[in-house]
Amino acid sequence: MAGNIYIGEVFRNDEIRRDFFLMKIRLPVQFDRPRPGQFVMARIAGLQDPFLSRPFSIYAYGRGRGGCAIELLYRVAGKGTRILAGLIRGSQVEISGPLGTGYTVDPTKKNIVLIAGGIGIAPLSLLARELRRTNSRAADAVTVYLGARTGEALVGLEELKASCGNVIFCTDDGTLGEKTLVTKAFRRDLKKYDPADTALYACGPKPMIRSLAGLLKDEYVCQVSLEERMACGVGACAGCVVAVKDAAGNKAYRRVCADGPVFNLKDILWE
Amino acid sequence: MKKKSKTDPALSVDIAGLKMKNPVMTASGTFGYGEEYADYVDLNRLGGIVVKGLSLKPRLGNPPPRIMETAGGMLNAVGLQNIGVEAFIAEKLPFLRRYDVAVIANIYGESYAEYAGVAKQLASAPGVHALEVNVSCPNVKQGGLSFGADPKAAAEVTRRVKAETDLPVIVKLTPNVTDITVIARAVEQAGADAVSLINTLTGLAIDLRTRKPHLKNVTGGLSGPAVKPVALRMVWQVAQSVSIPVVGMGGILSARDALEFMVAGANAVEVGTANFINPLATMEIVVGMQQYLKQNRLKNIAEIVGTLQV
Repeated sequence: MAGNIYIGEVFRNDEIRRDFFLMKIRLPVQFDRPRPGQFVMARIAGLQDPFLSRPFSIYAYGRGRGGCAIELLYRVAGKGTRILAGLIRGSQVEISGPLGTGYTVDPTKKNIVLIAGGIGIAPLSLLARELRRTNSRAADAVTVYLGARTGEALVGLEELKASCGNVIFCTDDGTLGEKTLVTKAFRRDLKKYDPADTALYACGPKPMIRSLAGLLKDEYVCQVSLEERMACGVGACAGCVVAVKDAAGNKAYRRVCADGPVFNLKDILWE
Repeated sequence: MKKKSKTDPALSVDIAGLKMKNPVMTASGTFGYGEEYADYVDLNRLGGIVVKGLSLKPRLGNPPPRIMETAGGMLNAVGLQNIGVEAFIAEKLPFLRRYDVAVIANIYGESYAEYAGVAKQLASAPGVHALEVNVSCPNVKQGGLSFGADPKAAAEVTRRVKAETDLPVIVKLTPNVTDITVIARAVEQAGADAVSLINTLTGLAIDLRTRKPHLKNVTGGLSGPAVKPVALRMVWQVAQSVSIPVVGMGGILSARDALEFMVAGANAVEVGTANFINPLATMEIVVGMQQYLKQNRLKNIAEIVGTLQV
């Protein structure tokens, strides 16, 4: 259940690519099954610098006898993640969650399209796995567009191939897959996807999300998971906001942690 | 929801008519409207909840990024994003009324009239037990800071708010002044029932790679353990300068920190940034205070207030 801070035990924490880590954390059985797109706040107990928890999308979830486990796929980007990367098996981490809204899954749509840039693959991988777990027919209908700067940064590809029908991958420098941007690869296929029959899910760096917003007509519904610096993770500090159009069409700031992290792409205002 | 949790009379405090079961309050802007942390914290066990600062109309707040962690602290420039006093009364207060906890509405205005207007609406709102007047926000243009850094203006805000309400009025002071005791005395003479301090210290964090500030607002307010020595010094100075109660805050993470503030002269404390680090911080502080009283054979927490040996 939410509202608890769980002591998780690191089961593995491997550098799967340079600066990319996969951490598996064992948690008590009370930790709720996450919806794809939800996240956790993770912190090393007693750590003074940095002292704030860091948000991580849930990459994978499993449940067994007497407990459950989550996997976090993360890139070392600063002091906090560097310290996290140094944790060895048996280390303890404080975990609260699952937090946030998550993606709304509609398996009735004929086409399910996932668009991921770099580490943005993390929440979409859980979505792909969930689609496969809950509806095997849907898994075949899933197409993933995955892009990264270089082949080294193209993480999660093999796992995705196991759970999705079609995986189209590319890199900015052409070191793996086609040399193009993921949004360009997706745009090429766009006419195949009838808006009424397509559910789009995205996560990635801001420029990617922004260019996606530019190329999708209003008829398309695209759910996008956003990233921001957070302090509390529960909606109290209003530190992690994003500018959106509210129901009345006015500009408003919404909290990525509590009102998101998943938003309707059309609602986001680009300033 | 509302249940009489077992309270320890030794911890109960009365801040100018604001009765609380213990001296531990949540600092404005760090605890939302209470509901955000209700899954973590039994709100019945808190002394008081100071809600996010309220203005007459809803406020958009500042563009992001709004926060940045720094060594031992964090900068924020949220810019008083809030739903406005009317929506607070209609949508947030009913939830808070379900709990046996003192609710302190933090208020903010860009003019004397706005401060008075917000105070007037809250004066008759059932479930509000006191007002905390923010004359010290460093993050908005007409930031209250212009009121809080000038003794005459701070006094006038206090008078205008007092004229609208019979609720206890706590004036929250800024540390971004040369002599905080001048402001404290000015608001005391204007009728403030108590003062709370410190608000955040104005700071700047720079991204060397881009040579840009980490915050869109350029500067932000520093909070967290880094500010504690400054806060303790100011609480100590103010407590000696005024005869009204003092609510102390600034980097309190533990019961030990909270008790130090009380020794410096605070009658109650507010816990802020600690909520982000550990949502259970307030609960742990209440328990730690009880243990301290027991270990030191004290009958009431008031016995340690202002006992700094110099």
